[in-house]
Amino acid sequence: MSEQLKRIVYTAAVFISLLLAWEYATTNGYLKPYRFPAPSQIAKGFVELSVVGFPRGLTIWVHVQTTVERIAQGYIAAILLAIPLGFLIGRVPILEKLTNPLIVFGRSIATLSLLPLVIVWFGTGELTKVILIAYGCFWTMISNVIAGVKYVDKGLINAARVFGVKGAALYWTVILPAALPRIFAGARMALGVGFMVIVGAEMIGTIEGLGALIMEARTFYRSEVTIVGMLIIGVIGFLISSGLARMEKVLVPWDTGLEDVRR
Amino acid sequence: MSSRISLSDILWGLTGTLAVVLIWEFAARSGVINAAIFPSPTLAIESAFEKLDRVDVIQHIGWSLYRVLVGFLLGALAGIIIGIAAGWYKFASFLFLPLIELFRPIPPLAWIPLAIIWFGLGEPSKFFIIFLGAFFPVVTAAYRGVISVDPVLLRAAQTFGLKGVGLLMKVAIPGAAPDLATGIRIAWGLSFGVLVAAELIAADKGLGYMIMHARQLGNVDVIVVGILLIGALNLITDGIIVWMIRKWIGRWHGE
Repeated sequence: MSEQLKRIVYTAAVFISLLLAWEYATTNGYLKPYRFPAPSQIAKGFVELSVVGFPRGLTIWVHVQTTVERIAQGYIAAILLAIPLGFLIGRVPILEKLTNPLIVFGRSIATLSLLPLVIVWFGTGELTKVILIAYGCFWTMISNVIAGVKYVDKGLINAARVFGVKGAALYWTVILPAALPRIFAGARMALGVGFMVIVGAEMIGTIEGLGALIMEARTFYRSEVTIVGMLIIGVIGFLISSGLARMEKVLVPWDTGLEDVRR
Repeated sequence: MSSRISLSDILWGLTGTLAVVLIWEFAARSGVINAAIFPSPTLAIESAFEKLDRVDVIQHIGWSLYRVLVGFLLGALAGIIIGIAAGWYKFASFLFLPLIELFRPIPPLAWIPLAIIWFGLGEPSKFFIIFLGAFFPVVTAAYRGVISVDPVLLRAAQTFGLKGVGLLMKVAIPGAAPDLATGIRIAWGLSFGVLVAAELIAADKGLGYMIMHARQLGNVDVIVVGILLIGALNLITDGIIVWMIRKWIGRWHGE
């Protein structure tokens, strides 16, 4: 416990001294305020963003909401598509062999490289962003679902068969629970991918959303707004990954951890 | 994962790929999907060949590879050094871990505006963003690898008189190698994705720029070829990295 306390104290000391040095250097002209806006400046920027908004009227909460909605739509679409497809491919070996190179290649295509093509198809509206997120999430998700279903312990399935479990019941009571840890790991990775894609996609052709916010702020030489936006993005990223990890523990209590299994 | 792939697997894979390409080809040729918006592979390659200067394309590829290599190497190197230091020395873990935990949730692409503010629109800003893309996966993997080295190995080596840097170099780092290799491979994929995004948003050369520019000119065929090219490049380089990692780790851990 004291070890942990020591760690917290050290961490706080590192941060506070860094912030103080930064503030001091900027106010005394060692660092250019435009390039490295002082922490106090960033705090002011945060207040301005949450009250007035940037651009005027679009507060930080509006940006957050827009971005989160876009991610949610694309992510859910990808999951709804990937889970049934992944189950099918994972359970039918020939299908798995047929599609394997396609899935590897689909994953290799950098999601954002599709941006120009999707813009040609659907314009620069909401749909374009949702499709890009869905694309990025889909491949991560489906390869994990396939792996999860494919590597279900054969012994488990045979044991269940001996007890007379078959058909749909076999899927619900044996295969799905055994595959869930991997599926969850995929869901977590996919959300990370979606989050990364949206920040990039929002930097082109829109003024709403966190990616747009930090890019717009740069164009208007408001670097402190850019940094506030980045910090908010970081907080959301952190909440997403820690929230999913916690949910996983609650929903899949029989998972002993993928790390332990692989070793 | 087994490394041996049987011949029949390859044949099945080829069949599946061919089937999809053929369906795509027929759909575009017969007008089920509008070829002006989504050209068939052969049509796209044919007209992209006419519109693109071959020397230009090779230069775009060269620039993209150059950027991703520089950024990746710098990021991976920094990640290896800092990650191993944080895993091995207590003071380094106190110093670096909080900073890493603070910055890791921010995706590399979110640094683009700040990178432009700091380094301008030239190459350094791209190196910086790709650096970040490579750094975080490697630093996490290196740290995790070093702290999870089997203590029995370390004690055995100490019994034989190894200590300090020797212990680190001869036992801890080889022990951390598999984790490190996974991190490096993830980092390469991420660097590549980040590269494309950076080139789409702010660049005047490179493959990302090539397809963004083609969009402005309305050359869908060039976009399609560009996307396939980027995918293929990623796949090939990933294969090379996997091969190099196998050779490197094989010395200590076998296949």
